[in-house]
Amino acid sequence: MRYYETIYIVDPNLENLVLDKTMDEISKELEKTESKLINHRIWGKKRLAYQIDKQKYGTYVLLQFEEGNQEKMIDFSTWMKLNNSVIRHMTVLLDVKPELYVEESKKEEPVANVSNATVKDDAQLGKKSAEEVDSKPEEAI
Amino acid sequence: MAFQNRNKFCYFKENGIHDIDYKEVKLLRRFVNDQGKIMPRRVTGTSAKMHRKLVRAIKRSRSIALMPYVERGTE
Repeated sequence: MRYYETIYIVDPNLENLVLDKTMDEISKELEKTESKLINHRIWGKKRLAYQIDKQKYGTYVLLQFEEGNQEKMIDFSTWMKLNNSVIRHMTVLLDVKPELYVEESKKEEPVANVSNATVKDDAQLGKKSAEEVDSKPEEAI
Repeated sequence: MAFQNRNKFCYFKENGIHDIDYKEVKLLRRFVNDQGKIMPRRVTGTSAKMHRKLVRAIKRSRSIALMPYVERGTE
């Protein structure tokens, strides 16, 4: 089995919801090629080495998958090219099977942050107590 | 005689790297001069095999705007 990796750049000014929507659209389009999706994650906002469409920054998204119907992959590539929210994309053949990207460490942090944020909202009057609460869960982790 | 003493070694063989990923820009930057040009093998001492992989990785990262095609030299 062959494994591929598609990297694409999205407009950095997109809101999170819109970005999620475009990512969903792309994974749906990929499904048409009968390939198995392994990873689809945001790599991060980065400064472009040169301007593309007058953009200086871009959000990089990684898409790793197992090969499906090769003939349909051409359609996927042209679809990506025509997609206005994707500034640029590139598909590369991988030598090894990509490991499943687990967001364990990252998942825990946002949850903790969210709880901290709610605590802060609740105890905006008493900041000191909120700080104490903030520091404790971090120690526990 | 002087160049006989110079220590030339393949960075990748020394560090046990077999595959070069185009996403590791920090690593690739070492093998490019300040104009963004790929440095020759005779300068970097990279083995022929790894140099081929290196060139491919640099060209890939250029096409996805992680590295520049051309960069102004010292300003």
